[in-house]
Amino acid sequence: MIRRIVAIAAVVVTALLLQSTVFGQLRLLGVRPELLYLVTIAIALLEGPNEGATVGFASGLAQDFLMNQPKGLTALTLTLLGYSVGMFRQFIVSPSPLVPTIVVAVGTAAGVAFYEVVSVLLGNFHEQAAYAVRVALLTALYNAVLTPILYPVLRRITEGSRPRRVVRF
Amino acid sequence: MVTRSRPRSTRLLVIALVSVSLAIITLDYREGDAGPLAEAGRWAQTAMAPLQQAVSTVTRPVGDFFSGLAHLPSLERDNADLRNQVADLQTQIAGAGDIQDRLRTLEDLLGLKRTLDPAGIPAVVIGNGVSNFEWTITISAGSDDGVAVGQPVVAGSATSPRLVGRVVTVTPVSADVQLLIDQNFAVAGRLSTTRATGLVRGRGEQDPSMDGIPQDTQIALNGVQPVQVFTVSYEINGQQGRYPPGILIGEVSSVIQSTNALETAVTLRPAVDFSALEYVLVYKTDQSQGGSTG
Repeated sequence: MIRRIVAIAAVVVTALLLQSTVFGQLRLLGVRPELLYLVTIAIALLEGPNEGATVGFASGLAQDFLMNQPKGLTALTLTLLGYSVGMFRQFIVSPSPLVPTIVVAVGTAAGVAFYEVVSVLLGNFHEQAAYAVRVALLTALYNAVLTPILYPVLRRITEGSRPRRVVRF
Repeated sequence: MVTRSRPRSTRLLVIALVSVSLAIITLDYREGDAGPLAEAGRWAQTAMAPLQQAVSTVTRPVGDFFSGLAHLPSLERDNADLRNQVADLQTQIAGAGDIQDRLRTLEDLLGLKRTLDPAGIPAVVIGNGVSNFEWTITISAGSDDGVAVGQPVVAGSATSPRLVGRVVTVTPVSADVQLLIDQNFAVAGRLSTTRATGLVRGRGEQDPSMDGIPQDTQIALNGVQPVQVFTVSYEINGQQGRYPPGILIGEVSSVIQSTNALETAVTLRPAVDFSALEYVLVYKTDQSQGGSTG
């Protein structure tokens, strides 16, 4: 169990580091990816709603602490996103390798839109609506492009750190 | 029994996590920068700063390469423009040498003291903000080096500084700088041609705007000299502005048609290329004297 926590914590810290350094320069039409959204959605798809919500909360809180925005907002967003995607996975019957990409794209767009709406309600969002929509769509596209590269890595990490079941006779 | 209890425990977990998130949002709003959450944030930033510095050092050439590819179409045009500007400036420098000598002599005679010469703290940019909705950078100097919240940050040389932004968060080893393009950034500016003043505000992805300029101000964008905007000093009730005067903010790119009969507004092209920012200088100004905007 500790090995699993350490592995997922390492994934979250790495994603935060990459997002605040490399992807600060590698922008798609002025927008950077939301790697923690991608990590949360991927883990929720692989492990279910329980782990999706927990990882979403922890990674969201970690991102909140590095921002000058109200703390707790990303944690709230990613908790609900992880839970929703985890619950949704029981309806996925297609074995297509495109499924994670599509779910990440839709989930990211929905998550970013939720974050923007809550920010507006808190009086903390000063962007124009057109910019908000553009960011949600481009972030979703960027995350979708990264999914075929990162999803297999995340799957290997989660499966490799899964507690082994011991069967006694 | 198992199939019924598991969803219930998941729902309870989510309700608990959402409740904790809402409690954190509320607590952060109530406590602000002095609260335990802000302190935890500073602790997290302190822990991340060395890692960001290491990753930036390793990956910057890769980022610069791809960033350069993205700017390739405009580089040739920029190169030609810059060659023309260099030729113009060389002509101006030849003529300005004599004027500068006379000015220096007169300043010495009058005993004038240069106001634009505060001590600076050099720093390396080690990270960018993690969100698409705030425009910040993280630099490698912190409170151990004398950096404090509110201090102005510039790029370029000490003799021709260009405004980057201001310090908003400080840890012992790093600091977050709010860029002048951030939506919450504002600074008082002065036009180089007419000396008219106004308030420069960040607008995110769009060029910053400068409003509050008197309506009768003549702004000739097609002239030989570009219309530049510099920081301006002011004093209200004994409190001096946060920014030393004479820091280049940007160049006027367009005039905004306004229906307001009393004032006009313009947009600025920032003097700093924020996507390629590597080194900055933090001015050690006295923040106890700082105003709210600039």
